[in-house]
Amino acid sequence: MANEAYASVDISDADVMEAMKAMQGYIDITPADFREVYQVAYGLARDRVMKGLKAGQIMRTPVHVIETGQGLVEAAALLAREGISGAPVVDRDGRVVGVVSEKDFLRKMGAEPGGSFMQVIALCLQNKGCVAAPMLKRTAGEIMTSPAVTATVDISMADISALLSEKGINRLPIVGGDGRPVGIVTRSDLIEAFCRIE
Amino acid sequence: MSYFTKMRGHTQSPPAVGPAEVLWSWVGSFLGISAVGLIHYKLLDHTSLIMIIGSFGASAVLIYGAIRSPLAQPRNLIGGHVLSAAIGVTAFQFLGGETWLTAAAAVSTAIAVMHVTKTLHPPGGATALIAVIGGDSVHGLGYLYVLVPSALGAAVMLTVALIVNNIPKNRRYPEFWM
Repeated sequence: MANEAYASVDISDADVMEAMKAMQGYIDITPADFREVYQVAYGLARDRVMKGLKAGQIMRTPVHVIETGQGLVEAAALLAREGISGAPVVDRDGRVVGVVSEKDFLRKMGAEPGGSFMQVIALCLQNKGCVAAPMLKRTAGEIMTSPAVTATVDISMADISALLSEKGINRLPIVGGDGRPVGIVTRSDLIEAFCRIE
Repeated sequence: MSYFTKMRGHTQSPPAVGPAEVLWSWVGSFLGISAVGLIHYKLLDHTSLIMIIGSFGASAVLIYGAIRSPLAQPRNLIGGHVLSAAIGVTAFQFLGGETWLTAAAAVSTAIAVMHVTKTLHPPGGATALIAVIGGDSVHGLGYLYVLVPSALGAAVMLTVALIVNNIPKNRRYPEFWM
């Protein structure tokens, strides 16, 4: 992690001196002491927000879902129409059993794990044909990533962040006690929630 | 951080205050010390020893010069002087003889008690010390030293601080009472 990059946005001695000057009267605390108090307090505030804000408060609803038996043409059309890059896949009872995302499509089109859209384009041009053709008859259930990583509404922002980076995924379906989706939290939802705080 | 590295210091001095702050510090301390001096001199000059309390000079630095400091708040000013005076008198009456020992015990105990009671006020150390080394005239006061000059002087200084420190628009005193 680029911790040094984060240090540059941290509060500086110069910031503290400016603030102390603006406060007029003599303040009998050194800039370093002030910085320490600020940093500890800021850390506590951040933790309070990260642990206090729950999935239920930041998740997106309603959830667009794909059924296991649904054809991939239909699934791709849904993702395109809704402007999303992935969706939970549900079984006949409506329970989340997997997730289909751009990554799964790319993999089926010949991209290596972690590969990109550009890799598929390159393949496409080399083979002089559309590498998506073999997917025509497949269903969502066949290409989805499963089991699905899900969580309940009471998971905190901190735990969602940790889960997303640990599992290398971009979205977390939020499910009720019956396993049915009630919302979804994506990386961009996390960023949005965080920006609103600050 | 190694033992010797720590001695180099690690931060800078807080910024200097503006001319207005200097002026109000001067006005406040001039009026505060004048008031204490005049009241003690006019009302109590028959004892002629009431001007001795040098620790008010130190209190003036805090309550007129560093008014946002926790050390300069009313609780600390009054509590610090009164408790330290009582400890100083007690130390002299119990230990008396060996002045160096009595003085050290008075000051160190005063600091400890001020810490515990959340009334830390550096001039309190001087108030405790003066009770021991102030000579026969101070010793003669006994526990009266706690009320006059200590408590009375602190109260007068506080009154002046409340009046003067709140005159400029961007100055206020105190930060808290209790």
